[in-house]
Amino acid sequence: MASLFWSALQAVIDGLLTGSLYSLIGMGMALIFGVMRIVNFAHGAFMMLSMYVTYLLFDRLGVTPYLGFLAAAAVLFVIGFATYHGLLRWVNERSEFMIILITLGIAQMFIGGAQLTFSGDFHKVNTPLSGALVHLGSHITLNGGDVLSFVISVALAIGMFLFVMKSRFGRALRAIAQNRYAASLIGINVQRTQAVAFGLGVAAVGLAGGLFLPAFYLYPEVGSGFNLKSFVMVVLGGMGSIEGAAIAGLVLGVVESLTSLYWGNQWAVVVDFVIFLLVLSLRPAGLFGSQRV
Amino acid sequence: MTQRRAILAAVGFALCLLVPLVVQQDYQLNVLFRIALFSALGMAWNLVGGYAGQLSLGHAAFFGIGAYALPLFHDKLGVPIPLALVLVIVAAVAAAYVIGRVSFRLRGPYFALATIAFAEVLRLSVKNLEVTGGDVGLQVPALFGSISPTRWFYLAAVVLAAAALAATAWIVRSRFGYQLQAVREDEDTARACGIDPARTKLNALIISAAFTALGGALYASQYFFIVPDSVLAIDLSERPAISAMLGGAGTMTGPIVGAILIETALELFKNVFHEAFQLIFGVLLVLVVLFLPEGIVGTLASWWRRKRAS
Amino acid sequence: MPRVMRSSWLPHAVLLTTLTGLAATACKGGGSGGGKQEGGNTVRIGVITSLTGPQAAFGKAHKLGYDIAASEINAKGGLLGKQVEVIIYDDQGKPDQAVQGATKLMDQDHVAILLGAYSSETTRAVIPAATQKGVPLIMPTATADNVVETGSSWVFRICAGAKAYAASMADFLKNNGAPKTVAIIYENTNFGQANGKAMEAAAPASGMTVVANEAYQASSPDYKALLQRVKDKDPEAIYYASYLLDATTLMKQTAQLDINPKYLTAAGTGFSAAEFPTEKGAGKFAEYTFSVSQWLPSAKWEGSKQFDDAYFKASGSHPAYHGMQAYAALIVAADAIKNAGSEDHQKIADALRKEHLDTGFGPIAFDAKGQNAHPVLVTQVQNGQFKVVWPPDQAEAKPILPTPSWSERK
Repeated sequence: MASLFWSALQAVIDGLLTGSLYSLIGMGMALIFGVMRIVNFAHGAFMMLSMYVTYLLFDRLGVTPYLGFLAAAAVLFVIGFATYHGLLRWVNERSEFMIILITLGIAQMFIGGAQLTFSGDFHKVNTPLSGALVHLGSHITLNGGDVLSFVISVALAIGMFLFVMKSRFGRALRAIAQNRYAASLIGINVQRTQAVAFGLGVAAVGLAGGLFLPAFYLYPEVGSGFNLKSFVMVVLGGMGSIEGAAIAGLVLGVVESLTSLYWGNQWAVVVDFVIFLLVLSLRPAGLFGSQRV
Repeated sequence: MTQRRAILAAVGFALCLLVPLVVQQDYQLNVLFRIALFSALGMAWNLVGGYAGQLSLGHAAFFGIGAYALPLFHDKLGVPIPLALVLVIVAAVAAAYVIGRVSFRLRGPYFALATIAFAEVLRLSVKNLEVTGGDVGLQVPALFGSISPTRWFYLAAVVLAAAALAATAWIVRSRFGYQLQAVREDEDTARACGIDPARTKLNALIISAAFTALGGALYASQYFFIVPDSVLAIDLSERPAISAMLGGAGTMTGPIVGAILIETALELFKNVFHEAFQLIFGVLLVLVVLFLPEGIVGTLASWWRRKRAS
Repeated sequence: MPRVMRSSWLPHAVLLTTLTGLAATACKGGGSGGGKQEGGNTVRIGVITSLTGPQAAFGKAHKLGYDIAASEINAKGGLLGKQVEVIIYDDQGKPDQAVQGATKLMDQDHVAILLGAYSSETTRAVIPAATQKGVPLIMPTATADNVVETGSSWVFRICAGAKAYAASMADFLKNNGAPKTVAIIYENTNFGQANGKAMEAAAPASGMTVVANEAYQASSPDYKALLQRVKDKDPEAIYYASYLLDATTLMKQTAQLDINPKYLTAAGTGFSAAEFPTEKGAGKFAEYTFSVSQWLPSAKWEGSKQFDDAYFKASGSHPAYHGMQAYAALIVAADAIKNAGSEDHQKIADALRKEHLDTGFGPIAFDAKGQNAHPVLVTQVQNGQFKVVWPPDQAEAKPILPTPSWSERK
């Protein structure tokens, strides 16, 4: 009986560790989709770019991913800002269909470009922490690298939340989300704020990508699986709620882990989608959301 | 459809049927088969996406249901082929009902996301379950006799596309068609006029699903063998949507134009650009969204009307 | 969303006519390889592999293997008095593209023989097309067994299949301590499912009971819950079927959970990849794992070392068995064409059926189903190197058993 408890606890903790990375991705999407209403199908592709940047810093300059991810996020902010300013801003007023299509196109561009530049080869990053183990008592073992990622993610998530809630920029952004026209009337530069917000959202997923690199592999298509997951997090957390998406990320991590434990790993991702559909049908506002769907 | 256009369409149809007399190679017929099939799929999607204005990105679910229903009913349950095809439609209608009931309560992007989720759940479940062959896949019965030359599949696809076009033409002129477009333009006002948006959208989805599933069964049979990723992958949902949009969603022939362009472009690009093909495809897609939002047919039509007016 | 367009028929007609022309151009097989005539001045061999897509790295290995074989053949004077021309089609890892490629190679390029594809799915998809048109198909790397179970008389497989993998590993286990229980962990794809099923079937014959059968979604970051389920069953042996990414993650997490079966075994692929025991893979966590292998550069077959050298010279890294298989496939194809004395498909197929050739990949001969009885080697990672430990006549080292527990290792 006790071992059942410890297995479950281990699974929950592992789920939280993985989930913390999901949270960063989800928070990025919450900014982009939840607040700006941009249905961004290039989210995973941005993450992939960040992973390549982090990898290059590691491979060519020996910078550990646990620092490199910051540089990658900065690069991604620039890419995100440029993408919005150069491409998305023209389509933003039009239907979601257009946004979906253009972001799909952008994703293809990034993936195709990565394929050409780096070829389809897999890359792996091993840091001294990759094999390190952390023991909590005699029953729980954690991977050192994962723990570090978790701590960093939580710190970043809190930072991001505070920034969006308390800073002037954050308030401007939320003003735009509430009423774009009114916001422009009170002097907010709507397009620029949105470009910065998009850049921030992409930077968030850039942070996640860099932190993910040691735990994972790198190849051009690596981001594809995270697109849908990020939408799930935003819906689960509630539209417009950054903290909701963060919590949703943790929830997804734990749910996947427990599903693996009790039902089988092959069903873990399916459960994500089933939850998504349930939330959409039963409580579309999500956990923390207040907006009508 | 005016009489002139109906005659044109009939002539076009007849010409398409005569193509196998000229084109003999299987490879070429294969390309034409895909063009015809994706035209049909694009038009089917267009009913929901173009006319009803509901962006579905989960049509792969219906495609896959058609593809899997055929071997499951025929090989595992011993149902004869004609009946199996009927059951394919029944399965698609049932799925459309379920998916529609849940998804149509959602608006805008949520609807699209929900449809994606349904298709993914289906794909992963098929992959995990023994009864559908898992990822090892299923052999699919041959629809046109054991040899089943490609030209029969091509002809069947042309017939399916013609049927889809005819259905679209009929719907557009009917009251149902006006209800669809009313719902697309402004759902609340439509409801105020006494239209039941949920029911209208659901009916469109059901018709769309039936055509898509038949297309799936045809496709599956042509390749003789299916795995989940070949018939339920998300790019099978994206392709008809992109074709319709490229050609002009909400126009009758838009999806045909779009399908021809996409399939030929893909085929040409692959041979010419090799590894750069994905990048180029992405760039083109971005350019089309930026500069041709009404699709080719839509833009042409606007230009023609403006010219006429001046 | 645009409203319904009451567009006129003229632009429509013009547009559709133009597009039909465009479609016709595409049909002419745009770009390279457009409609060559039979009886030209080269012997054309068609290759389908994955140059882009998730399997691109393996496709590259294939291509290099084919290129090396083709240059060798041409340097020796070619075939039937002509040079050999290899025409490669990229299937992007997709089955329908593979079929498209096969039909193009057969219909337009009039190839004498088809080689490919890379993965089990793409290969399986091509079989009906090759069978219908009566063109021989040599399969270099597909391990799922359904590719030789279709009843087609036109297919020939060079490599050993999943059943052979499992039988070989089970045989090794039986003769080296005979564990009573085995847990099977496999990825939820064609490759994984085929190998998982194969071990499930082979285990009882070697006195093992399958105590856990766990499928996983490939490329997940966390398998610990799955491994916990396996740990709870306390198996004496574990059999993994994974690609390199997951092989690495699984071994690290097996160590993390302190799972210590007597045998850590695997169905090749990821566990046999050159990078697996290195820092680019599982590193020290790969130590002592057993895997099945089709071939290693250190194999004792004649021609093996030469291929390794040629490959290393061309690419800077040593080949895994995929490159070798591609090379062998082309060598066998060339030999069959030579024996048939013509490019006639039926004659080539007959010649293949009677083929007996020693290559760097071992002796090649095809049975009635087209399967080559390729001996499966069992290797163990010892000091970061793959060493063949079974069967005894090919072994270069003794297996290190029992497997030290994780805490015992430094």
